[in-house]
Amino acid sequence: MTRPLRFGTRTPRREDPDLLRGEGKFLADLIPQGALWLTVVRSTDAHAIILGLDAEAAKAMPGVAAIVTAADLPAGLGHLPCVDLIDTSLPVFHPVLAGERIRYAGQPIAAVVASTPAQAEDAAAAVIVATRKLAPVLSAADALRPESPWLYPELGTNAVHVTRQLVGDPDAAFSVAALVVEETVAVHRVGAAPMEMRGCFGEVEPGSGRLVLTSTTQIPQSVRAHLAEILTRPAESILVRAPRLGGGFGLKEAMYPEEVLVLLLAERLGRPVAFLEDRREHFRSAVQAREETIRIRAAFAVDGTATAVDVACLADIGGAYGLVANAPGAAIANARGGYVMPNFRSVATSVVTNKPPLNVYRGAGHPQAVLAMERVMDKAATALGIDRAAIRRHNLIPAWMLPLDRGISYSGLPRQILDSGDYVHAFDMTLEAIGYAAFPARKAAFEAAHPRRKLGLGLSFMVEMTAVGPDEPAEIEVLPDGRVRLHAALTAMGQGIETVLGQVVADTLGIDLDAVEISLADTDRIPFAVGTYASRGGAVGGSAAAKAGKALIEVATDLGADLLGVDRSAVEWSEGAIVRRDGTNEPLPLVELARLAASAGRADALRASVRFAVPDTSFAYGAHAAIVEVDTGTGVVTVLDYAVTHDCGRLGNPMIVDGQIVGGVTQGIGATLYEEIAFDAAGRPLTQGFFDYPIPVAATAPRFHLLHLETPSPHNPLGMKGAGEAGFTGTPAAITNAVADALGQDLPLTRDPGPLSPARIRALLREREVAQAAGFSA
Amino acid sequence: MTGVGTNRVAIIVDGRAVAADVEPRTLLADFLRDTCGAVAVHIGCGEGTCGACTVALDGIAVRSCLMLAVQADGGTIVTAAGLAALDGPPDAQNLTPLQLAFRAHHALQCGFCTPGILVATALFLRANPHPTRAEIVDHLSGHLCRCTGNVPIIAAIEAAAGATAP
Ligand code: FES
Ligand code: FES
Repeated sequence: MTRPLRFGTRTPRREDPDLLRGEGKFLADLIPQGALWLTVVRSTDAHAIILGLDAEAAKAMPGVAAIVTAADLPAGLGHLPCVDLIDTSLPVFHPVLAGERIRYAGQPIAAVVASTPAQAEDAAAAVIVATRKLAPVLSAADALRPESPWLYPELGTNAVHVTRQLVGDPDAAFSVAALVVEETVAVHRVGAAPMEMRGCFGEVEPGSGRLVLTSTTQIPQSVRAHLAEILTRPAESILVRAPRLGGGFGLKEAMYPEEVLVLLLAERLGRPVAFLEDRREHFRSAVQAREETIRIRAAFAVDGTATAVDVACLADIGGAYGLVANAPGAAIANARGGYVMPNFRSVATSVVTNKPPLNVYRGAGHPQAVLAMERVMDKAATALGIDRAAIRRHNLIPAWMLPLDRGISYSGLPRQILDSGDYVHAFDMTLEAIGYAAFPARKAAFEAAHPRRKLGLGLSFMVEMTAVGPDEPAEIEVLPDGRVRLHAALTAMGQGIETVLGQVVADTLGIDLDAVEISLADTDRIPFAVGTYASRGGAVGGSAAAKAGKALIEVATDLGADLLGVDRSAVEWSEGAIVRRDGTNEPLPLVELARLAASAGRADALRASVRFAVPDTSFAYGAHAAIVEVDTGTGVVTVLDYAVTHDCGRLGNPMIVDGQIVGGVTQGIGATLYEEIAFDAAGRPLTQGFFDYPIPVAATAPRFHLLHLETPSPHNPLGMKGAGEAGFTGTPAAITNAVADALGQDLPLTRDPGPLSPARIRALLREREVAQAAGFSA
Repeated sequence: MTGVGTNRVAIIVDGRAVAADVEPRTLLADFLRDTCGAVAVHIGCGEGTCGACTVALDGIAVRSCLMLAVQADGGTIVTAAGLAALDGPPDAQNLTPLQLAFRAHHALQCGFCTPGILVATALFLRANPHPTRAEIVDHLSGHLCRCTGNVPIIAAIEAAAGATAP
């Protein structure tokens, strides 16, 4: 084939022109004229019993169309879903509206619908909610104390979901260990905080009466299935669409009460009903992430060989399940990452508290698990007097051991089999890129010149589940003008999926990228799929697109032979046209074929529908390294350099992959150094907006050094693994280790939750000074 | 007719004259989006912290979520949709040199922050055609982007400034 392949090139993104002109067609741009507006009355208490609710004055206010409380909802209305339940999971589901008990500040209590957003807000402010406050439970540790109140008194416990793994014989390994390292890693609560907030609108389709939800969701097909259960109506009577999202990151891989409310109210009122969150509301009603405490113990031999790991994770999941019961669980089961560590035990416990629900955010539990493991590596190296890089190299799984069955299977997911790659090579590349060998000299020179400031270098290695199954659908059709349209179930949220799928289809068919149209995330077209998460879009969506393209070639060639009246074996597909193998006719291009098919009444033949079955999970991996500067006077941590060597298999579009890594690392820097969703002693959110939730800006960006390995995944024809989450996953560990390197491995950076803020760094340094002055520590 | 409790606001948005009666409390951002159909004005926070809603009002960058529509009465507004009025002439796809630089440097992912950054940057480069990297970083301090890590945005602006150098 002469046409150069698009796959693997830095193809400029197809979505850019629209977005650059401000014509992105985000949810807020699509709300129908004449829609009514929903505002949600939310609890201001973290834990309370609702005594009474008075909406009479509010109902009489201008423009108000309806006010709905839990008592007004249809009998039998379901609760929000949770998808990773096991036999022993306790029922702590999120209601659409709180009935009797309030379990977090921000929980929806009533729905107010009015003609304009301002009228709805005015009326919502006039709804009077009388409550009896209960003592709030604000940490997982508190929730487990015997004297703690129970959020669900009927359950008699706040620990609601527990998963365990056991590989080998960790106790035996610990009993003969030369060194046992123990560490507590408390990870604070953060939010994905996409720049586009949540929103949705509900309509009733004229004629059919179907309910149509348009929502900022990463999982429209799942939302449809869940809505069918919640509303107890056939899934065929519901349609869900996702427009382009202004960022998702897992925050939009959830189901929200408003998605149910706008449909119920649109049906009841006979008008479209729209909801747009505001930023203050976002920080109390969108799912939050990461909060967990990990206790990790690891056994080492004198030569630095890690023989066993025992890890316990307590996740503070808030007042009810998010879409997942245990966001960290799957990653804790995978806590060994890229290290051999033959003996392993883990337990992950989800505990309910009076905070908003916890859910996944870029990397799910992986970043926390990597942080715990990598702190242990540094501590072991220090204790054994082994170089930090050497102890990691020594324990990394060598390439010859792959594929390696980890002996772990996590609820609903396939057995963990690390598939392919060269971990040690990636690690060495990162050492080179960050200047590991020259670092001691750089540090000495810098610190000599700046007495108050310290430099530190931190390392981390991450392995994560990507490109997960079970399968991915795609449909393809030839349009009357000869262009080809691919329908995919995926959601566009900035990851360039329209470009990557276009590249794959153009290559498969041998046609121009401009001749390919991509249509996404419409359950009317593709009702069943799992969604866009876990770094799966490019790899599994791309594989489905390639499969669809090949299927189209088959049907088009069949049809072409038929229409030309020749034997099937006499023709073949070549660069978007049907040609005779003997070269006796002009190629029959798709546009001609489409015309002929239409006039023969067979236009329907030029389409194909496929499902790519994912044989197994692909594990992407990467080696991270950070160099930070810490001002011991101010406590400010500045990230100077950041190196990543990542292997996500074949790179469909290296420009897009680099963008994912840089963006992910940046979010990881934010979560480690700046961001925290905080609550006061009564459990009310202190985080109101970006003025007190500082995300990274241009001024905080480090110098990046990005490298790739391209070990093809054995699990899909494109050889791709996922890249979306890799940037975040290794970052908290690399940054925290770098700060520890700068300030001393004895400083308990992870003992307490919270970002490594200037105030926290100063407090830790002061605590150490006092302890040293008192003669408490070496 | 001006109703009770409303004020007449007449502005020019991307070259188009719009006049309407609005409640005094109506934000400029909402007026631009809902009444003028200027969907390039994105609302990322509604409280002045993100910069997504930035438009040029009579040649000055303003956060349209922090202004009332009545304050803009009589003004001329440029959004990202009309960026050519602030930046160089557009190409066949109606993209200006600055927009092309953003595309070439992958300085947008979801694109939600992008319109505000483009408008503010076009004005910035008019005032300071050859900024240093430090000046670009400082200029971006009021603009939040959750996707790109900001590095590509700095690179795109450096390139655009270089490209327009005499
Ligand atoms: S929406 Fe105006 S600054 Fe964020
Ligand atoms: S590109 Fe998504 S917020 Fe900037």
